[in-house]
Amino acid sequence: MNICVVGTGYVGLVTGAVFADLGNDVVCVDNVAEKIATLQAGGMPIYEPGLEEMVARNVADGRLGFTTDLTDAVRRSVVVFITVGTPATDTGQTDLGAVEAVAREIGRAMERYTVVVNKSTVPVGTGDLVREVIERHQSRPVPFDVVSNPEFLREGCAIEDTLRPDRIVIGAPTQQVAMTLLELYAPLERPMIITDVPSAEMIKYASNAFLATKISFVNVIANICELAGADITQVVKGMGLDPRIGPAFLQAGLGYGGSCFPKDTDSLVHTAAALGVDFVLLRAAVETNAERAGHFVRMIEKALAPLDDKRIAVLGLAFKANTDDMREAKSIEVGRHLVELGAQIRAYDPVAMDNARRVLPASVVYCDSPYAAAADADAVALITEWNEFKFLNLERLRAVMRRPVVFDGRNLWEPERMRRLGFEYHSIGRRPVLPA
Amino acid sequence: MRRTKMRRTDPGGITSNQILGIFGTGYAGLVTSVCFAELGHTVTAIDKDHDVVARLSDGTPTIHEPGLQELLTGNLESGRLRFTTKAEDAVVGSDIVFLCVGTPPRADGRADLCQVEEVARTIAPLLDGYKLIVEKSTVPARTAYWVDWTIRRLAGPNREFDVASNPEFLREGTAVQDFLKPDRIVIGADTERARSRLLDLYRKGFHCPIVATSVTTAELIKQTANAFLATKISFINMVSDLCEELGVDVATVARGVGLDPRIGSHFLNAGLGFGGSCLPKDLNALITVAEDNGVDVAMLREVERINTARVERLLAKVDRALWVLPQKVIGVLGVAFKQDTDDIRGAPSLGIIPRLHSAGAIVRVYDPAAAQNIQKLYPPNDRLAYVASAVEAARGADALVILTDWDEFRSLDLGGIRSLMRTPIIVDGRNLFEPARMRAAGFEYHSLGRGEATLRTVPRRVPV
Repeated sequence: MNICVVGTGYVGLVTGAVFADLGNDVVCVDNVAEKIATLQAGGMPIYEPGLEEMVARNVADGRLGFTTDLTDAVRRSVVVFITVGTPATDTGQTDLGAVEAVAREIGRAMERYTVVVNKSTVPVGTGDLVREVIERHQSRPVPFDVVSNPEFLREGCAIEDTLRPDRIVIGAPTQQVAMTLLELYAPLERPMIITDVPSAEMIKYASNAFLATKISFVNVIANICELAGADITQVVKGMGLDPRIGPAFLQAGLGYGGSCFPKDTDSLVHTAAALGVDFVLLRAAVETNAERAGHFVRMIEKALAPLDDKRIAVLGLAFKANTDDMREAKSIEVGRHLVELGAQIRAYDPVAMDNARRVLPASVVYCDSPYAAAADADAVALITEWNEFKFLNLERLRAVMRRPVVFDGRNLWEPERMRRLGFEYHSIGRRPVLPA
Repeated sequence: MRRTKMRRTDPGGITSNQILGIFGTGYAGLVTSVCFAELGHTVTAIDKDHDVVARLSDGTPTIHEPGLQELLTGNLESGRLRFTTKAEDAVVGSDIVFLCVGTPPRADGRADLCQVEEVARTIAPLLDGYKLIVEKSTVPARTAYWVDWTIRRLAGPNREFDVASNPEFLREGTAVQDFLKPDRIVIGADTERARSRLLDLYRKGFHCPIVATSVTTAELIKQTANAFLATKISFINMVSDLCEELGVDVATVARGVGLDPRIGSHFLNAGLGFGGSCLPKDLNALITVAEDNGVDVAMLREVERINTARVERLLAKVDRALWVLPQKVIGVLGVAFKQDTDDIRGAPSLGIIPRLHSAGAIVRVYDPAAAQNIQKLYPPNDRLAYVASAVEAARGADALVILTDWDEFRSLDLGGIRSLMRTPIIVDGRNLFEPARMRAAGFEYHSLGRGEATLRTVPRRVPV
């Protein structure tokens, strides 16, 4: 099948690469010429495990190409995927400018029946908008259909998530249109849900909103544990063994960040409001999440005050492990607060430091290892749950620190072990390990 | 700080049978008693009520629970199980004493711990050597601390005992099965002696993971698990309201959401919300513990509010479907808080039936098992009748209102029902039917979160 993917961000590149790998002829389109030039030259604008190899393989086999010429790409394709960014505006609504612009151009380019698939995460109702925009800008009145096919990728394992999704959701106006998408996805042999466009759009938002709620729920319980003297890790172990709950997304910590959950939750709150429904539950989950960084900083302040000229090593900057993505990362807020309180920050992240430089306070010093960051530090603050931190040589870490104080925002280490190693150790929803 | 011990119980391990005293013969107490007896322990169960003790000693279960009758009869016969009103029979000579007494919600929503305290006071003077006292009832965090304090104050010096927590995770309708084949066993103990005693008790016959932790943490696990399930239900009910506004089907959305294994499809049925004796109570108890500790739990408060609002939403639908209620005949199908139980505690029917009645409607109620229980609260009168079948409830009715997800309602003869009704209107609080099928069968069908099939079939535009 001839496919065109408009937008070469995470979603676009991964979608394009995987469909090419399944044997389709795919062309990825972007209006940023440098990005296309980079891709054509074999470079990769984002970090995603396995993607570079997959792209190279399919480019070499002639199934995957890159272009800035949207018109040409649309005219060659049976299915056109829209995977452009839908950033949040300052008010928390979704900026659909890019989607609209692409729809306009698709309309102008279209010469024969085409299936236009919205893969970007767009608010419920966007399918209608895209259809109207295309209709209005068609240079030739050919029939077309707009389908919603939300992506469920997680950064860090996006390829695997595309190849083996938990479910494929296809929201189509008719059964016949759905069949086109069905055919495309058939080789994956995964559960499919065929429904109408708004339901498909809603599935994406409701899923992310529920997961966000799950995280915030656990963080509320962590707050209760801290004050009641219980241990959140054991509470979630006990509740996660209930198969109706499950152990996933029950980790207490600094809360969620990234480009999806914060944006999608805000967006659903707005959609609900537009429909006259006040989604207080989700707003409360969002507020709980917003308070996590402040909670962590207060924990640090309480133990170290005053923070003036205290040297704090921040381990992990990305919004989660296995990504260089800094969008809505908790390190931004924690870092800013700590600097405001007078602390000197020495930071380390395995891959996100380049991106972090743009968003963290200018005074932050970047180091090339966790030990370098911790050298002469008054405390270590762990923000991102990178695997390499789990296996850190903690004896060595303690040896280089000025004071062996650790604040663990992700409950990465065992309190008992930290006690044995002689640390003062503060984590989330568990009793602190204090010096004897 | 203790570490969790996740261990598998050893089915081949040899554990001596223990002598157990069990206070309370409600759902938790009775099921715990017969099941421990079935596992070979010697069990003495206490209830203050002479009638209850007489009935149980006679082999007549006081609650409706599959499998209970057989276990009760068998273990009474074997002599491993007895019931008495005398507390000393359960305490003197026993190894472990379980607290299974009721902790009903008070008017302010907090758990009423009078019975727990009374048992603590009863036990204190009866202690004869080391005794392990285990909370099995669902109690707010730190209850064990107060039980310990109460006994210590009254028992005099040098009494050896520990208070531990071992919360029950029984679901009404499958309680026996849940006890004998649990998903997990949670043991909260603050001393090594208490921990090893409880581990011993569960060593034989159980094959599930055991979470061994501190008492307070164990107390919190139960409430947190139930509060989470409540959150899941309220979440999908909010999404259901959104779906209704959009004119799409919440069932499809829930299916798409539930296929994410991090979410799971359980407890994603939109409808009238949660009821029963556990979820509402445990949620409230957790809110109370949180607020007592100064933790902001706006989220959990909202879970509660959404659930309360479900009843209003259904009543609004009834209003909209029937316009004026006085003298309208309304058949109510189901009063139990869920299917396969006669329990009406916390059931939406408790809010809905009196409201329909006081609005002037003529109400005919049918439930396969729970009608007797609700009759005690709302005795029949000239506008409230209890009937023997769904068909009777439908006869001459202006509308049917479904409040419980009983399987037998799913398989109703819709054609027959429709021909009996004055106007074929169904307001379904449990989304038991497909809207398209109901339309084809000639009904005006109102459900929750699925658009109004008869009013609007095209999804609504959302301003984006």
